Amino acid sequence: MTTSTEKEPVGAPETEQPVGRAAASGLPFWADPRLGLLVVLAVLVAVFSGLRPAFLNVPLTLVPMQADISVFAVVGLAQLAVLSLGHMNVAVGRMAAVSAFATGFAYDRLHVPLVVGLLVGLVVGAAVGALAGWIITSTGVNSFVVTLALDFGLLGLVSLLYSRFSGGVAFSVRPAGLDALRFDTFSDYCAGNICGPPIPLVVPIAAIAVVGVGVLFRYSRIGREILMTGSNAKAAQLSGIPVSRRVIQAHALSGLLCGLAGFLLAANNGAFSASVGEQFLLPSFLGPVLGGTLLAGGAVSVIGTVLGATLTAVIQKGLNLLQFQVDEMRIYIGLVLLLALSLDRLRHVLAERRGGRP
Amino acid sequence: MTAPVLEPPAVTAGRRPRIPTTLHRTEVILAVISTVAFIALAATTGGNLLEEGTLRAVFQFLAVPMVIGLAQMSVLAVGQMNLSVGVLTGLCAMISASLMVDSGWPAGLAVPAGIAVGALVGLINGVLVVATRINGFIVTLATMTIVDGVRFGVNGTATYQGYSPGFVRLGRASVLGIPVVFLAAVVVALVVAGFFARTTIGRQLLASGGNPLAARLSGISNDRSIVVAHLLSGVLAGVAGVLIVALSGSVNASIGDDLLLPSFAAPIIGGVALAGGVVSVLGTCLAAFIVRLVDVAQAQYGINPRWVDLIVGAVVLGAVLLSQTRDRGRAR
Repeated sequence: MTTSTEKEPVGAPETEQPVGRAAASGLPFWADPRLGLLVVLAVLVAVFSGLRPAFLNVPLTLVPMQADISVFAVVGLAQLAVLSLGHMNVAVGRMAAVSAFATGFAYDRLHVPLVVGLLVGLVVGAAVGALAGWIITSTGVNSFVVTLALDFGLLGLVSLLYSRFSGGVAFSVRPAGLDALRFDTFSDYCAGNICGPPIPLVVPIAAIAVVGVGVLFRYSRIGREILMTGSNAKAAQLSGIPVSRRVIQAHALSGLLCGLAGFLLAANNGAFSASVGEQFLLPSFLGPVLGGTLLAGGAVSVIGTVLGATLTAVIQKGLNLLQFQVDEMRIYIGLVLLLALSLDRLRHVLAERRGGRP
Repeated sequence: MTAPVLEPPAVTAGRRPRIPTTLHRTEVILAVISTVAFIALAATTGGNLLEEGTLRAVFQFLAVPMVIGLAQMSVLAVGQMNLSVGVLTGLCAMISASLMVDSGWPAGLAVPAGIAVGALVGLINGVLVVATRINGFIVTLATMTIVDGVRFGVNGTATYQGYSPGFVRLGRASVLGIPVVFLAAVVVALVVAGFFARTTIGRQLLASGGNPLAARLSGISNDRSIVVAHLLSGVLAGVAGVLIVALSGSVNASIGDDLLLPSFAAPIIGGVALAGGVVSVLGTCLAAFIVRLVDVAQAQYGINPRWVDLIVGAVVLGAVLLSQTRDRGRAR
């Protein structure tokens, strides 16, 4: 599902590399970063399950891993939504925290059902994202700076809100259905003798987000126009695309997905707390970048993002089973990221040298 | 401590004379704001701020944010970012403390070793960016993760303390009422200012940041500029780490966790362009001072510490908006 506009990235900085443009620029199939990711994934799964057969244990490893992947994938999509413009959102974690607060508040004070609380969170996330987009378009300030400042602001705001309304750092309320989201898989629901697969209930929610974002960027007018804007804002403007509105919409989408990721994480952990989203920044970039989404904008890869998120989760779980400490795990994740990116770069250079360009 | 600015020749033709003045104006505005804020704070706290102990603390804890801001500024100069500054500061602090406690090194050796670690990591960052051509943001995101792991690997979550009493005494000492660590930070700032204003390589850094193509055509190696900028950033992160070791008397692996955002706040408020090519040492230091005053105000008034983040966020955004409107006014 790599989507890109036909233009070469005009005026992209020198260090910006057009990874992930393989499909668009007629490079051979093996230059596609997603294929590399699949191979790396297969190798890692083989290695981990060879070393620790428990890696393939369904209830202990595979089910929690799917829940992790769901969160990471949605966080990655939240970043991808603005990377499509060539923007960044360094406030992903705090946007997730704010919407998790809104959701928790709705459950705790207003006693709303599960779905309504989720919707409240999504609306708040989208509103915060739209605010970021509005500041960016109306002032022309770099998206990094705006979301950085927003991150500072929300960091303070979230703690203040929790201490004001929950008397601590978390809402302890459990609306009906939250525990099912947390613990149940489809194998717990049977029709007669036929039970569902061992997939946690959060996975379909993330899958809807993945398909939705994929369809948006591939088929919808708004999605294509956002990519055009990311590829060349001036050309987009001159072609009659409402550039500012598209920027705001992309940031609102990012905020909405942050909200969803926050909800999924809170559902996995069983608590709406101020610490939701603290660890989101790194995975949010890992997924899209490993999957071949450009930082320069104009091209996104939704499937690549899911694969990148899966890779991250597999590495974490595998190292965890091999009883690595958290700090050692960080070292290896960083190394794998560097290695994967360098290999990707190497593959791209080789492909170009073979005369892959039309 | 001037604000060196280097405009590529091609662009200079039309608007050369204006830019230095506007840059100065940022610094003047910041200087006015910080003076007014300081006086207001001193007045409203009934002179409490001017007591020797309080005043010393204000400047003691200004040293690290200043140097960290400069560390980020030096990569911003070439249009790069360094996400690893925060954790790298922690790593350098942990390593020099570890050398003193575990290996029994004297402070005189452990301090340069800590700075050398910073330099090494900075060099690796720079070489990785140049060699792989991957965006510096992503490279330092990866090295941030790695350094973070190594930082906890030095001593787990345990604390180092009781190292070199003489060194800690020096870190907490004052000369003529001015804390030594603050003096050290000022010296570092002067050196960095001199580097960007006076040395050839410093000017080349700014040229590469301002317009890479023009720089290359003028015979400047952009690759070398990027490596040098990251190297300098690493060294400054190392210096900040050593200052923390000297000042706090005990260090653990959580040091540096809360330094990444301030490292961006100071140069951005100080008028440094993210796109590269423009630095302002004075602006960065004044901005760090203003952020420090927000902290002090929180402590003096007993405000919920969480308001600090909120206010700093607003100040960052406000500062950028201000410079933006001014730039637009100039462009017309």
